[in-house]
Parts: sequence; C-alpha cells; structure tokens
Amino acid sequence: MNKEYERPTEVFKPNTLNVEPTSSAPTLSTSGRLITYNDQLKDSLDNGYHFTELLDQLITTDDAATLFNAAKMLSTYQLDTAYLTFPQQYSQSDFYLIFINRLLALHDRERVILQSSDRYGELYHEFPGINSAGYFIFNLENSVQGGAYYTEKTTGEALFYLSFEKHTLRFNSRALTQLLLVDYHDKIEKNALKGFETYLLDIGNYLKEDYGFDIDFTLLDPSNNAVYQLADANFSSSVIDQLFVEAANGGRMLELSESGAPILKLDNDIVVQLLQDNGDESLGWTLKVYDQQHEVAWFDVLLRYEFLRSWYLKNLSALEVQSDVLYFN
Amino acid sequence: MVNVNTLSDEERLEATQELSKAVANKIRYLQTLATAIDNKDDRLIYQLIDSDHYSEQIIQAKHGSADTENENLVNDTTAKLSQYLSANLLAYLAETYPFFYFEQVDLGRFQFYFGNWWDRRLFGELDVIKVHFDFNSTEYEKLRRAFELEGQNKRLNSDKIAMLSNQADQLQALIDSQGQRDEEKEKIRLQLKKVAQEKVMPWETSKLKEAKQQLVNQLSDLSEQDEKSQEAYRLIKDNENKVLELSKEDTLVGYEKQSVIAKFGTFDAFEARCESLYRDYMADLIATSGRVNTNE
Repeated sequence: MNKEYERPTEVFKPNTLNVEPTSSAPTLSTSGRLITYNDQLKDSLDNGYHFTELLDQLITTDDAATLFNAAKMLSTYQLDTAYLTFPQQYSQSDFYLIFINRLLALHDRERVILQSSDRYGELYHEFPGINSAGYFIFNLENSVQGGAYYTEKTTGEALFYLSFEKHTLRFNSRALTQLLLVDYHDKIEKNALKGFETYLLDIGNYLKEDYGFDIDFTLLDPSNNAVYQLADANFSSSVIDQLFVEAANGGRMLELSESGAPILKLDNDIVVQLLQDNGDESLGWTLKVYDQQHEVAWFDVLLRYEFLRSWYLKNLSALEVQSDVLYFN
Repeated sequence: MVNVNTLSDEERLEATQELSKAVANKIRYLQTLATAIDNKDDRLIYQLIDSDHYSEQIIQAKHGSADTENENLVNDTTAKLSQYLSANLLAYLAETYPFFYFEQVDLGRFQFYFGNWWDRRLFGELDVIKVHFDFNSTEYEKLRRAFELEGQNKRLNSDKIAMLSNQADQLQALIDSQGQRDEEKEKIRLQLKKVAQEKVMPWETSKLKEAKQQLVNQLSDLSEQDEKSQEAYRLIKDNENKVLELSKEDTLVGYEKQSVIAKFGTFDAFEARCESLYRDYMADLIATSGRVNTNE
C-alpha cells in the first residue's frame, strides 16, 4: 500500500467545504446544501462499495470475462472522491499483478508468486528460480495511451507492455535480451530462464485465447510463421560470415538451402534460416526458426546455443529483433 | 587453262568411286553415332567423338583407331552432345563426388561449387566431352596447400591470423599505455624546463645541449606513439575484418578437406581419382550398361 494513503482520513465539515458544490452555492438553502453533501457521500460510498465488488471479482471469480472486466475497471478506478478517501489502498498497477496471477490460476498455470512488500507498501512478482536476481512490478504508462509496463524493478527493464483498454500486449525484445540473455546469463539456471519464458508466453497465449488480445511476441514467438524483423535488415554479408565461422567453432555448419538461403540445422530438427528478399529487395534480411512442434522461438535457440548467443549479441546493432516502436524505442 | 579431258574414263570412274566411298564412310560414321544415341550407348558415343582420347585412355594404345576427320563432322554439335552426355555423367559424379554441386551455365556447359555451405567456392568447370574437371587453379591450390599444412598441424591461414592477432595485441597495448606515456611526457617536459634554467660553465654547454636534444628526441618518440595509438582503433577494426576473412577461408577449406577425406581418405587418392575419371567413367558405363535407365 502506498505511503501517501497512510494519512488520516480527512473530515469534511459542511461549513468548511473545500470543494465547490455542483450547482452554484448562493442559490442553495442550507437544507439544499445538506442534501447535496449527503448525496455526495452516498455516491462516494457507492463508489467505494462498487470497488469492493470489483475487488471481490478480481480475487475470487472463476469466470474469465468477469475477471478481465474487474481488472480493467480497477486498473483505472478512482476510489477516492472529494468527500471520501481511503487511507489504505493498493495502487492501480497492483491490480495488473493480481490479474496476471488470477489469469494463470484459471488455467492452472500460476507459477509466479505474488508477494507484498512491507517496506515499499506494494505488491510484486517473484519467479521461482530467478528471485535471487530480481522481481517484477507494473509501471503505469501515464500518457493518454494508458496501460502498463511489466518491469524488472532493480534493472528497470520493461519486458512487456499491457493495455486492457486496447487489448494489446507487446513484448520488448531488447529488454528480454538484456535481462535474460545478458544480465541473468551467468547467474541464473537455464531451466529457470526457460521456465520464465514459458510463463511470459502463457500470459500472451491466455490473453489471446480468452480475450482476443493482439500480441507481438517478438523474439519469443515460437510459431514457424514468425518472421523476425531485424534492426538493420541490410547488414553486410560479413555478419553472416561471422555466423559461418562461429557455427563451425560450435560444431555446426551454416549450409545453403535449396533456394540458396543460409540455414543452420540444430538438434531436434530445429532449423534457423536467414532469408533475404521476400519478393521485395528493400526488406533485406529476416530470420525464421522452424521446428516440427512450433515450440521453438529465436529466444530458445539463443538460450541454448552459446555460439548463436554470442553472435547475436556481438551484432545486435544489425540483428536485434524489432519491437513495436509505439511502445519501445 | 585446265584441260578437262585429261582424265581417262577409267580414272574418272576411280575418282567417283573414291568419293562415293569417302561419303559412305562419313555416312556410316554418322549412322553409327546416331544409332549409339538412339540406343543411349554413351560409352560408344564417347568412343566415336574422340577415338584418340578413348583409345589412349582405355585401350592404352596411342592413335589406335583415330578417326579425327569424321570426328570433325560433329565439331559444331559439341554443345548439344555435351548436353546429352551430361545427364548420365552428372548422375555418376553425384555419387563419386557428392561434395561437388553442379550448375548449368549454358548449353552443355557446367560449373561446379565445392560444398553446399555458406559462401562455398566456385571450384571449376566440367568438361563433359573429356570427362574432366577444369579446376579453378587458385582454389585448387588452396585446398592442396591445406592438405600439405596438415602435417604441421596448421590451417591455411594460421600464420597470417597469428600475425594479425599479434599486431592487434600490440595496437591494444599502444592504446592501453596512453596514460603511462602522458606521465612520461610530463616528466620530460619538467626536465627540459630544468635544463633550460640550468647555468653551466662554457665548456659544459655542448654536454648540456646534448642532454637537451636527447630529451627532445624522447618527447617526439612518445608523440609519435601517441599518433599511432590514435590510428590504432581503426587498424584494430581493419584487423578484425581481415581475420574474419581468413577464418572464413580456413573454415571453407576445412570443410572441403573433410569432404575429401570422408570420400577418398587422402588428397592423393582424390587427385588419382580425378586423373582416372575418364577411364573410371567408361568402366562404369560398361558395368551399368550405359546407365540407360537414368538417361530418360
């Protein structure tokens, strides 16, 4: 709970009204004022009561639509009014966290732990296996577009943007790369990172299934149809030369496909393919990852194969998978 | 004036018969060739179009049954013949040299790449009529050299890469020692100042001058190094690019070597097989009855 709410309840006295009543004061009689005041109180109490109903729903409902509606309402809910303030409150961003847990719980996939911090008076997410390195909260986007960024608190890396209003989820490839493939690389078990990735994918998949969200998974997208757009698609072939050499050092051969595109065959029939010129030369290079089960994303490959990870990180200015520029830059 | 009536009837008849025989001989040659093509008897075609080479290679007899004049008849058909003969030959080569990837460049003309990996090298052209690889001499030489270096446990560019890495280390050291140089320069400047203020006896002036000159020289040496270190970043980058090029070539040639070893064991065996390719192929044509079935 935020500290700012820990001040004592303000008491409004009729004669020291610090807010203008809705109708112009001079025309009101005293009883009119009292009635107006009382109506405002009733509205404020109703408003508070409605809040508790929504919170009930958020915490206990088993219905996906009800859950979503409650989270959406609460994420922008103004609990305080000029007549009534609540000293103990969760912040709007906390409802995003609760929603994530409840959504995953509805699908029996709740793996992230919702913790509350006494010190900062806020809720946060802890993920088993990586909790030694960091924890997660939502940061509200205060501009008109609304929504919130799921952010690792200590590094400030914003992993995804979520908007209930716009039914939109956008992953941030740069932050995911920096946090999971660089910062955590030497201190966190690969299995834990893989588990965390699955958790992020779950969020996206359930938002899509249950609420028809529009999702950009960026480098987490496991579909074979995913075409990863790269930062500088017109990079020089020396970037691929490097891959060729590093792959050889990693015991793999960068081959040519029948169409002449460079492909890298990895274990379990996973194939990484670099494609140029999708009918339009200006598109430059793109990247695809194939596997029979549609389960493997570029991220997985980077996580598993050290030579690919080092190649990707070394050439990030050319190879970085692009995120939605509307939310990340 | 030519006297047309100088030939006797007998002589004329003889000449006509000669001509007729010569033409018949050519017809027979072409007829045999046509039949061989109809029968898809590639071996016979090879024998007919270059009997000299055939007998030299197969019968091991020089000029056994050379028929060059008749062979000249199909000189202008070489591209078509080559195109026809390539079908069986390429099928044979795909088995024998699985690492060569052929690409048609014109009617009856094929070039080939070594391998199907990134930036594979264009390795030469195939002479279908001669059943012979015209290797690109530069690329072939690199492969040969790589095998040669194997004994020394080196790759083609090991030495060059080592040299460049060494250079890069020196350049890095030059960059890293900037602080140290700055300190030294400061020290020398102080010394120079001191020398300038020193009062000495007249007979000592030359000695002083010498000392001063030495300090100036040291200072300019250091400045020179500073300039070099300014350049160093760019040079290191250039260096990296060169090393990448060389490493790529080593990787390419490494794959080529592996391919040769996997199929032939040694480079000598590979060369020997290329040398005897014509013979081996004719033998294969005989053994497989001309690979008739593949030439549909």
